[in-house]
Amino acid sequence: MRPPFELIFRVFHRSLLGCASLLVPGRQRAEWFREWQGELWQVCIARTPTAGFSWSGEREVVEFCLGAFPDALCLRRQNAQTIMQFSSLRGSALQCILVMAVMAVASFAIALLLPGVRAEHSLLPGQVRRGLIMIKDADCNDDSSPTISPRQYRTWKSRKQQYFDGLSFYRVTKEPVAAESHGSTQWEVGRASSNLFSLLGLTVQFAKADVKADDNTPRVILSEEAWKRRYNADPYIAGTIVRVGLHNVRIIGVVPDGSAGLPGKVDAWLLEPDSMIVSGYKGYVVARLTASGKSAMWASRIGITDRQSNHSEDDLLGFSLDEGIPDSKTVFLFAVFLAFLALPAMTSVSLGEYSVSSHRSSWFRSLYRPGFLGVKIALLLPVAYYVSLDMAYGYARIASTQSVYIQVAVSFTICLLGMRWALQDQRQRCPVCLRRVAHPAQVGLASRTFLAWNGTEMMCMGGHTLLHIPSLPTSWFSTQRWLYLDTSWEFLFAIKM
Amino acid sequence: MVSEVKLSHTAAIILQALDAGFVYGFSIMEMTGLPSGTVYPAMRRLEHEELIRSRWEKQSIADAEQRPARKYYNLTAAGKTTLEASRKRYPLLERLIPSETQEAKSL
Repeated sequence: MRPPFELIFRVFHRSLLGCASLLVPGRQRAEWFREWQGELWQVCIARTPTAGFSWSGEREVVEFCLGAFPDALCLRRQNAQTIMQFSSLRGSALQCILVMAVMAVASFAIALLLPGVRAEHSLLPGQVRRGLIMIKDADCNDDSSPTISPRQYRTWKSRKQQYFDGLSFYRVTKEPVAAESHGSTQWEVGRASSNLFSLLGLTVQFAKADVKADDNTPRVILSEEAWKRRYNADPYIAGTIVRVGLHNVRIIGVVPDGSAGLPGKVDAWLLEPDSMIVSGYKGYVVARLTASGKSAMWASRIGITDRQSNHSEDDLLGFSLDEGIPDSKTVFLFAVFLAFLALPAMTSVSLGEYSVSSHRSSWFRSLYRPGFLGVKIALLLPVAYYVSLDMAYGYARIASTQSVYIQVAVSFTICLLGMRWALQDQRQRCPVCLRRVAHPAQVGLASRTFLAWNGTEMMCMGGHTLLHIPSLPTSWFSTQRWLYLDTSWEFLFAIKM
Repeated sequence: MVSEVKLSHTAAIILQALDAGFVYGFSIMEMTGLPSGTVYPAMRRLEHEELIRSRWEKQSIADAEQRPARKYYNLTAAGKTTLEASRKRYPLLERLIPSETQEAKSL
């Protein structure tokens, strides 16, 4: 055989195999091609002469190569059958649960990524310990004005109180602040009792354990705004010494802006023992309510009478620190409640008519349907909660009334539409296998005339049931009905379940 | 369940050829006279039904004989059971392709 011919035929054979290999599924292609190349080598040795040229031999080799096409198609069909088995999940209860679980996990993951949502879960006014009030003079209409003297505070603290069991005082002063590397400036400093933050239940950010247990140097907590402006958001700020007024103090951490929810703009909180509170300046008092104090609250306010030693009385007023912005869970539960109330206006809450059927399922199987509906709603709630958080706090750093409105609107919409979908989906699931019924067939004019019935029929692809849905509900056929199919129908349903 | 599998004549011949010791595609083609477009797809189906299994020859053996490595096929236990059932259905099968054990007996 002449070398050019040999080369041309070898290229031709390989091209045929290469073309056939394109039909083979990708993951099997390399092995398939290797096997056919090996076999082709055997055929060439057996059919073509070692010297000279044989057209009949070459024709046999080409015929052999053409056989690769049916083989490749066979593998392709086998692969398609495997995919078909996976596609039989379509419309099943498992697929529905998986999709909803993925949505819940995705919305939760987004919530973890958004700083606003993370902050809402850790340090925002809604997270200030419940049952805290701010006490002020009842004659003062401005909630943000300081009205309590240190003497009053000391007196209350020394007595057993009926309405509260924890008190803390603070006042806001303008102080010069100097740091080695940042020069001096004027700050609004909140001089507070050392128990203020523990009373509020707030966690200080970027705190160091060893700094907390340090010497007697007074401690200061920076506001987030001052920390960013003055220290460029240095995460290792804890432990730094600064000079506030006449004293050196140690920074022990940062508190996010607005997290305390207290009146008065403060750049730094200087924590001092009560003995160091200077008389002559009025300030604010935060108190923790007892059970009787909570029961005496009316419209987030409580009236307090302070009896003096000279038998005179001062009228005071306590207003709740958490009255402004409810926490996200309360907002969400309210939205869910509203959605449940509105649901009957959106769709029928009936799950379909089953009582007319003579079919009786086992008690275990009869739990499948309500169980599946329960799982759907249980998965819907975290989806609605986290999506509403994502949208309400995606941009906001601090909770606001605006974010509360967004959360209510989003949670309500998702819950209402989601539960409507859950009920509608439930009504179209086969009571036996929970697969969605398919292939709707409209009953024609002839049937309408002779059977006095019109509507749509849908069938379970597992061959278990037929669903009859009337187009015009009548007194004798008002809601959908299931027809349970016996084993004589099985030959019609080829899908493997 | 496997013994209930009913094979076509072609598939039965291929199983018989494998049982007779013709263990790769081209040798089965040579033995049975069937074209490649019939033999290989039939072997894919038999493997899919787990009546036969395949394994690659060691590359060192193929290198020693200066040829590409072959993919060898052999019968599974289910394949042997099915072949026994097919022999009853196609009595001429063993005469067309005598199995290794039968050849040994005749010798």
